[in-house]
Amino acid sequence: MIASDTTPSPAGRAVFGLAALPLAGLTVWATALLAGDGSATFSVTWVADLDLVIAFHIGPMAALLTVIVAGIGALVMVYSAGYFSKDAEGVVRFAVTLLAFGLAMIGLVWADSVWTLFLFWELTSITSFLLVGFRNRRAEARAAARRAFMITAAGGLALLAGLVILVDGTGTDSLQSLPQLEGSEAGIAAVLVMIAAATKSAQVPFHVWLPGAMAAPTPVSAYLHSATMVKAGVILVAITGPAFTDVAVWKNLGLALGGASMLWGAIGALRHVDGKQILAWGTVSQLGLMIVLLSLGEPKATFAALSIIVAHAAFKAALFMVVGEVDVRAGTRDIRELDGLARSMPIAFAVAAVSGASMAGVPPLLGFMAKEAAIEAGLKSKGFGAVAVTALIVVGSVLTAAYTLRFLIGMFGGRSDTPTEVSARRWPMTMPAVALTVLSLGGYVAAGTVTTLVTRAAGTLDPAAAEFALLRWPGFTVAFGLSAGIVVVGAALGLVLAREASSPPAAIGAGLVDRGIDEVVVTARRVTAQVQHGSLPVYLVVVMGVATLAVAPFWFAVDLDVLYRWDTPVQPILGLAVVVAAIVTARIDSRLGAALGLGGLGIGVAGLFATYGAPDLVITQLLVETVVVVGFVIGLGHLTRRFPWADRRWLVTRVVISVATGVSVAVALVASRSQPNGTPPREALVTEAVQTGGGNNVVNVILTDARGLDTLGEIVVLAVVAIGVVALGAAGGRRRIA
Amino acid sequence: MITPRSPIVALGVGVAAPPAVLVAIYLFFAGHNQPGGGFAAGLVLGALVALRAIAGRRAPATSTTLLWIGAGLAAGVAVLPVAFGDAVLDQRVVDVTVPLLGKVKSGTALVFDAGVAAIVVGLVMAVLDGLGISRIADPSPESETAAKVEGGS
Repeated sequence: MIASDTTPSPAGRAVFGLAALPLAGLTVWATALLAGDGSATFSVTWVADLDLVIAFHIGPMAALLTVIVAGIGALVMVYSAGYFSKDAEGVVRFAVTLLAFGLAMIGLVWADSVWTLFLFWELTSITSFLLVGFRNRRAEARAAARRAFMITAAGGLALLAGLVILVDGTGTDSLQSLPQLEGSEAGIAAVLVMIAAATKSAQVPFHVWLPGAMAAPTPVSAYLHSATMVKAGVILVAITGPAFTDVAVWKNLGLALGGASMLWGAIGALRHVDGKQILAWGTVSQLGLMIVLLSLGEPKATFAALSIIVAHAAFKAALFMVVGEVDVRAGTRDIRELDGLARSMPIAFAVAAVSGASMAGVPPLLGFMAKEAAIEAGLKSKGFGAVAVTALIVVGSVLTAAYTLRFLIGMFGGRSDTPTEVSARRWPMTMPAVALTVLSLGGYVAAGTVTTLVTRAAGTLDPAAAEFALLRWPGFTVAFGLSAGIVVVGAALGLVLAREASSPPAAIGAGLVDRGIDEVVVTARRVTAQVQHGSLPVYLVVVMGVATLAVAPFWFAVDLDVLYRWDTPVQPILGLAVVVAAIVTARIDSRLGAALGLGGLGIGVAGLFATYGAPDLVITQLLVETVVVVGFVIGLGHLTRRFPWADRRWLVTRVVISVATGVSVAVALVASRSQPNGTPPREALVTEAVQTGGGNNVVNVILTDARGLDTLGEIVVLAVVAIGVVALGAAGGRRRIA
Repeated sequence: MITPRSPIVALGVGVAAPPAVLVAIYLFFAGHNQPGGGFAAGLVLGALVALRAIAGRRAPATSTTLLWIGAGLAAGVAVLPVAFGDAVLDQRVVDVTVPLLGKVKSGTALVFDAGVAAIVVGLVMAVLDGLGISRIADPSPESETAAKVEGGS
């Protein structure tokens, strides 16, 4: 799994240290911005003609998210320095991709226009694909990356469609003040945007990519699957929510997806035995809670959702880091195999215990206050939702407390006298997790500060959401009673389930997605095999047939009066020779004969050029014919002497197409002569060639100067053809050896 | 089938080579004012390379090298004017005094043409490689069975 050499790589440290710098800088900047309640706006014009501008606006909400994304990013970089061993491969690639992802994510939260949002949304999908598939020699990692990418990219398409409708309906692409979207298309846009959010935030039934994504190195999970990538969907729901507040389907779909994810994710977390999987499924559940709160569209719920985003980022990243440390130091993260780590890894245990408690909603931690706010929001919500949403949150929280306890007991509990052996501590892995844990604790102590920051952010989404506060001690309210009950019942459930040594459940749905993707690939291959069958004659027939059809309109432009007999009597003689050569070439049985006939035909055409006074064409034509004949002589050595037998129907088809092509070319030429388009540029070209081109050969000056760009393009085509020929030759050679 | 290493062909190609190179050089430099040019010069050289291949002699360079040189020359001349604030492919004409020839008018188009010629020769050589010229002089049994290209007929 992890390289056996346990000393971290010094080169890796330098790379990750370098990558952490910009993220740390952004964290400081965003913190200052948030503390000063300021904002920043800047934009880069991308395509001026389309009014396409990459626009950023960093208000309190974006600043808060930047602190999370950049701050945890910097910590994850430090963590990665310890995670990778000396002989690990691709450390630089990993650091660069992870930094690229972090910056894409920051671009996403800074986005001020829907198009900027979409751009960075897709960038996070791509970089996340690269990170999940980082261990690209493993089939499992590749499959997981492909699955994650296909689902999130499909969501990206839904997002694009939804955003187009949104911009079309509201008339603005600015995200700062999205007006209400009304009318029938509002529902469609709402569904599309919500689906996009659900794919990114791994909501049921699109969650199947997240457990597989655990094939990525643990720093990826600590970053992407706790604080950033999976939050993108939640952020999307938060910032586009104001446009859909009156759309019933938005709220209902969000509640349904979020609620299902809350429960199913928690159940998954209770069944898995891999520490990372438990956390991944727990993330699905937590994200479900955020989506539920945000789709309620009520001030208190929005405030609670943002509080949970902050708390979750701190505790989930820390927990992932701990699992990674256990994995590196103990060699496994299967809770059935780990034994007695509480004693041998005391710091990791402390981190996991405190962060886990925050996840379960135990005071005195940030997670407790956030969960209190969520329950309050549930109780205060309107209509029948009050009961249903509260019940949902309570049940979800009970399960959360249960899987948290099961996780802690499984990872760190002792069962026998032979504890798992662990290797030496790696400080870079320990410290970031400790720092995040301190934040979970400090957030509770400094509840006032956290409240200020969260309410500033919430105020950008809903001004009414700015008046709430996180309470250290709420008093004996209904919410507190529920909170206490949740912890007690959850702990009991967790204790019972921790004893069950269950085997991991089969992944439902992941196989289905994989089969779907495979099916698409197979179908694509089949279609390609039909269209690109590899038969040169059939390609030629298709190309020439299409060209013939394209010439069809020219028939109406033909004016036979432009035709005249000839300039000199040599022309008909040469013409006749060309026709005879063509017929001989087509009818002759021997390949060498056909090659010679073709050469004779070309020379006849060269003669015709000469009679029209085009010496450059004559030279080129003659030389091309020479080279082609030599080429034929070489090529024929590989072929049979005679043409193979041809089916009669196929023969007729080829004759018909050939004749049609010839007639079409003649028609096109006569037609272009019949419809002169202004005066020929002859005079102008001659003067230009001598004066600016510095040459008397107009043709050559055109080729190298006046239309030099065309020539450049043509020789690039030649070079590409040559490379293709070399490649084909190499491929053919290989096949012969095999 | 070509007879392996026909001495007549070898001698003929050997005799024809020097004048062919001269013709190519003439066409190349004549191009600006007379019929000819880089494309024609490249074709003459290409034909020569192909004939040498038939005679059993290898080309002095590889097709890939020539393609790089050609693309580099042409693209370089095309892009260079931009560095001086001119348009892409902007032409510079210079008068050079060469010993024996006197005053010669030339321009950057000549370099561009050289690129064209190199790519044409490179293409011919690539095709020769693709056809496996090395196997002509020494026909292996496989090359005779490889005669089923004509799909669909």
